[in-house]
Amino acid sequence: MDSKGLSLKAGSLPLLLLLVSNLLLCKSVASLPVCPSGAANCQVSLRDLFDRAVILSHYIHNLSSEMFNEFDKRYAQGKGFFTKTINSCHTSSLPTPDDKEQAQQTKHEDLLNLVLTVLRSWNDPLYHLVAEMRGLQEAPDTILSRAIEIEEQNKQLLEGMEKIVGQVQPGVKENEVYSVWSGLPSLQMADEDTRLFAFYNLLHCLRRDSNKIDNYLKLLKCRLIYNNNC
Amino acid sequence: MDLWKLLLTLAVAGSSDALSGSDDTPAILGRASQSLQRVNPDLETNSSGKPKFTKCRSPELETFSCHWTDGVHHSLKSPGFVQLFYNRRSTQEWTQEWKECPDYVSAGENSCYFNSSYTSIWIPYCIKLTSNGGTVDQKCFSVEEIVQPDPPIGLNWTLLNISLTGIHADIQVRWEPPPNADVQKGWIVLEYELQYKEINETQWRMMDPVLSTSVPVYSLRLDKEYEVRVRSRQRNSEKYGEFSEVLYVTLPQMSPLACEEDFQFPWVLIIVFGIFGLTVILFLFIFSKQQRIKMLILPPVPVPKIKGIDPDLFKEGKLEEVNTILAIHDNYKPEFYNDDSWVEFIELDIDDLDEKTEGSDTDRLLSSDHQKSLNILGAKDDDSGRTSCYEPDILETDFNASDVGDGTSEVAQPQRLKGEADLLCLDMKNQNNPSSNDATPATQEPGIILAEENKSRPLLIGGIESTHQAAHTQLSNPSSLANIDFYAQVSDITPAGSVVLSPGQKNKAGISQCDIHPEVVSFCQANFITDNAYFCEADAKKCIAAAPHVEIESRVEPRLNQEDIYITTESLTTTAGRSGTAEEGPSSELPVPDYTSIHIVQSPQGLVLNATALPLSDKEFLSSCGYVSTDQLNKIMP
Repeated sequence: MDSKGLSLKAGSLPLLLLLVSNLLLCKSVASLPVCPSGAANCQVSLRDLFDRAVILSHYIHNLSSEMFNEFDKRYAQGKGFFTKTINSCHTSSLPTPDDKEQAQQTKHEDLLNLVLTVLRSWNDPLYHLVAEMRGLQEAPDTILSRAIEIEEQNKQLLEGMEKIVGQVQPGVKENEVYSVWSGLPSLQMADEDTRLFAFYNLLHCLRRDSNKIDNYLKLLKCRLIYNNNC
Repeated sequence: MDLWKLLLTLAVAGSSDALSGSDDTPAILGRASQSLQRVNPDLETNSSGKPKFTKCRSPELETFSCHWTDGVHHSLKSPGFVQLFYNRRSTQEWTQEWKECPDYVSAGENSCYFNSSYTSIWIPYCIKLTSNGGTVDQKCFSVEEIVQPDPPIGLNWTLLNISLTGIHADIQVRWEPPPNADVQKGWIVLEYELQYKEINETQWRMMDPVLSTSVPVYSLRLDKEYEVRVRSRQRNSEKYGEFSEVLYVTLPQMSPLACEEDFQFPWVLIIVFGIFGLTVILFLFIFSKQQRIKMLILPPVPVPKIKGIDPDLFKEGKLEEVNTILAIHDNYKPEFYNDDSWVEFIELDIDDLDEKTEGSDTDRLLSSDHQKSLNILGAKDDDSGRTSCYEPDILETDFNASDVGDGTSEVAQPQRLKGEADLLCLDMKNQNNPSSNDATPATQEPGIILAEENKSRPLLIGGIESTHQAAHTQLSNPSSLANIDFYAQVSDITPAGSVVLSPGQKNKAGISQCDIHPEVVSFCQANFITDNAYFCEADAKKCIAAAPHVEIESRVEPRLNQEDIYITTESLTTTAGRSGTAEEGPSSELPVPDYTSIHIVQSPQGLVLNATALPLSDKEFLSSCGYVSTDQLNKIMP
């Protein structure tokens, strides 16, 4: 019996080692989000989701800043557009926190939902922005390409955020709230100046909102993943 | 015209980044005059002495402050009471009222500080400067656009490593983010830029921005002092904050002894390469075709050879010539045999069929054979280092060595086995030339002696096509080889006319074989009982018999110890009788008894056995034809 027990132990030891090594491997592999798009039961860690989301939001903000600056240089010189930016952005009505205290006091679920709302609100305007920008006379390729890229990345960020919400708030199915954008007619105005100003305003709002989203996500990441110790 | 002037200034203001203001305008102003009052201090000369905004800045995205300059007080008027009013759009609309600056003090003189309660991000602000109630300057912006962090603090450096040459070193510079920036909660994300230079340089070297709070600086010279400074900015922003304090880096001085640049003569390398080169040259010589050089370097070991005998003759198989040459050499004669006299008295019986074939040999032997013109070619007498096929060690150990054919023409001296080996070798040659059955020595005496030898040999061989078999039979009778050398002494002549040979010298019984064919060997080997010192002729016959089938030389490996072995007369006869028949089976022959009674005890060295036959199955007693061990005897005799 002793020999049997020993042999069992000896046999289980490599098995145990195998198991442990597998766990370690799994852990290291899990650091890379390897979910193929469309996979049903794919589970990527929250940390990876947030990392990716922050990268995307940062990227989008960069693109929108550059795009705005280029548009400003190209079209808005001497036109006094800034004079007319009375219009607020279509997302200004959303109850987004405006300073650090407010943001810290906002619960992360609410903040996540706000982010989702803002992202959804921009789906439509971005689509039209790209469509209308193609018709813009002498549109530089850089502006157009950036617009296209922003549209694409916005969709991806929205997907990622929905995944995050799914993990953080499993089971909660919220109505898809978003702000309606009604600036399309302005983008299609016959008057060049009016049209350009509409673009200008839109790009300005885009830059601002992308900055907001970027900030919120970084805040959430440090709060949820790193426990306020980034 | 003022409008155009304003528009012009606006255009310039838009391109300048001295003032990082947003493009928002207060609605009230916009509605009022459709003109923006953005004053660009660069364009507007300050001669009028109006206060102007210089900078609005938020160091951590939580507060912000705005600074202005007092007007140049060259005017006689007092500057007036400067006030700052701000307005921000909290909702969709601009509020109508302007609020005054909450804090004129905290940010210094001519500044207005907005603490966190007054600060809202992503909301447009407009501020205006008034002097004596009159607006002198105005600006609009959003707080996230005016972020310029404070400089990092706590710079320090550590030595990473020093290069092997002792000239350069790498250091790691560390710092802390500005204390008011809430990096931990992620509210603001900073990136840093490090600049360094040597103390007496003027240009700062810049490194790429990094997100971490430490960065390595590579390849600093050890004998120089450096200055390092760091500045930070919010990621995505364009404007950097102020530089940190300068960090002075003084690297440890390396001792000059550490850098040894003496040139040492590379003795080791020279020796190694010298040896290598010499080896290469040596090998070139050795393996080169230049025989002369080869001789010089590697003088060949002279092997025994016979003067006048050309080894090539062996190769060609012209044994007659060789034998002739050998016979000529009188040097060898006296050594071969003890007694010359008996040579002349030999009668050879050539009744047998086999012997007839041998008769040619004997004829040749007896007649001073000059028939076969042996072209005694000019035997080259060179001492080339060709190994002989009958060097003693080779003979003893393994005559399989292929040097058999390449043996020298030297005939072994009787004391040695070489002669026999040579004989065997000659036999080998003979096989290749069936026509020349045996080498026929031309000389008289040696010829006769050889005749004996040859007789015995062909007898053994039986004149079979493959004369080798006989040779091998002879091989199988090491005694014959060992004792006979080239010549053997006939001790007795049987009534039948057969010759009984006696051992000449006691020699080592190392048997050498020429051209062994393993198939036959194995056959023969199986039959021998190793413990038996004696060797049955029948076995030898068997070996011989097997050979014709294969048409190769039978190889009979002697399993003999170092004892003399005798050939029985019967065996001689029977062997002769068997010649020409390719049959196997001793039964068809004169039955050679597996055991024989002792006829004569000639000497301590030898026995002559009777040929009385007790036909018994051979197999059991194969090995005991000449000698019956007690066991076998017991078996036979119940």
